[in-house]
Amino acid sequence: MEGVFTFYDIFATKGIEYLIIIAFLIIIIAFWKFVNMRPY
Amino acid sequence: MSEISATPEIKNVRDFVRFFIRELKPRGKIFTPFNVITAPIMLLGLVLIVYRFAAGLGAVTNLSQEIPWGLWIGFDVITGVAFAGGGYVVAFMVYIIGGEKYHSIARAAILSAFLAYVFYAGGIILDVGRWWNIVNPMIGREFGVNAVMFLVAWHFFLYMVAAGLEFSPAAAEWLGMKRLRKILASLTLGAVIFGIALSTLHQSGLGALMSMAKGKIHPLWYTEFIPVLFFISSVFAGLSVVIFKEMICHKVFKEQIDEEHRKSFPDIIVSLGKICAVVMFGYFFLKVMMFVHDRNWPYLNTPMGYWYLTEIIGLVLIPCFMFVHGAQTRNLPLILTASTFTMIGIIMNRLNYVFIAYNWQIPVFEKYYPTWMEFVITLTIISVELWVYRWCVNRMAVFRKPPEWAIEKH
Repeated sequence: MEGVFTFYDIFATKGIEYLIIIAFLIIIIAFWKFVNMRPY
Repeated sequence: MSEISATPEIKNVRDFVRFFIRELKPRGKIFTPFNVITAPIMLLGLVLIVYRFAAGLGAVTNLSQEIPWGLWIGFDVITGVAFAGGGYVVAFMVYIIGGEKYHSIARAAILSAFLAYVFYAGGIILDVGRWWNIVNPMIGREFGVNAVMFLVAWHFFLYMVAAGLEFSPAAAEWLGMKRLRKILASLTLGAVIFGIALSTLHQSGLGALMSMAKGKIHPLWYTEFIPVLFFISSVFAGLSVVIFKEMICHKVFKEQIDEEHRKSFPDIIVSLGKICAVVMFGYFFLKVMMFVHDRNWPYLNTPMGYWYLTEIIGLVLIPCFMFVHGAQTRNLPLILTASTFTMIGIIMNRLNYVFIAYNWQIPVFEKYYPTWMEFVITLTIISVELWVYRWCVNRMAVFRKPPEWAIEKH
């Protein structure tokens, strides 16, 4: 990885990628419910 | 007509040849709009194919040593294989997880995948400069085991065999060969499992081929996860083609479709639309993840960045929500529109990898643009595939019910 590694950099620690995955796992449940929802 | 027409029992080769020649005769009207448009294209295309083999690649294409891949590899082969993904996805849903609901579309999807491989992957022959060497990975004159192309060649070949086996019971029914049909039907599950394993490998194998061109592909498209993206996108690409073809075939071959299939048809399309939506949603997140992982922010506000956003938002996210809305409201024309946009998105994505975002640093006027002959030959391959598909559908139990003797009792 380029640049200096710091524990505060969310990109260097790959924290952002963990957050995206967690967000995806939460949103996919809501999305599946939304897909199966009947319109009003 | 819901029953397949009775075929005479074939006892020897002579019977088979007679029957086959009789079956080659066209059925139905000859001067249909489809025939009138595609026949001249095919005639011109066949002349151009002969010219290509006689005069070489340079005579009909704009390809060069610097730009070796163009429309044929990008559309016919790489996009065609993604579009054929519907075969393994539907086979998985029907034969592995027991989705009986989709049984009525299984044969059409598998036939479509088989023909796509035969014609689109077969299109590689046109694109290989020394085309007579194409059999080398098979016959071992020079296996080339270190090349990704070795992997791709064998996967293509084996999947063609597997898809052919999956569809073969329908051909045996057409020929009236009861014993052969029984043997082939017993091989179907094995062929399906083999075919799915091969598909997961070679869909991603094509991505692996792209990942070797690291310095040449634009950073917005290049990632070490291209194989994963290719595999996932083949799922919704294939299903979109299944939706598109089913919706058209449902109108064109309506007299062959029985009442039961007709009633379940909207449910099948809505369910396929839902699956597409969920897979596209996951794919979109993966794309976002790759984007963040590679820190591609500086490229976004550039012409290639706008092109990238068009693909990701315009042809992935928007069709995804069109599928959702179409499924919620059971709006089949909307699902058809979403599948069309998805197919355009896949074509764009694959062409980006092959020549639009490939060698992206070179000036626009030095870039590759296909010649009219490349377009005509591509249209010829598609037209021939559609003619063969129609020929099979009109003779075999693809949409209609198989003959009584072939229906398995459980």
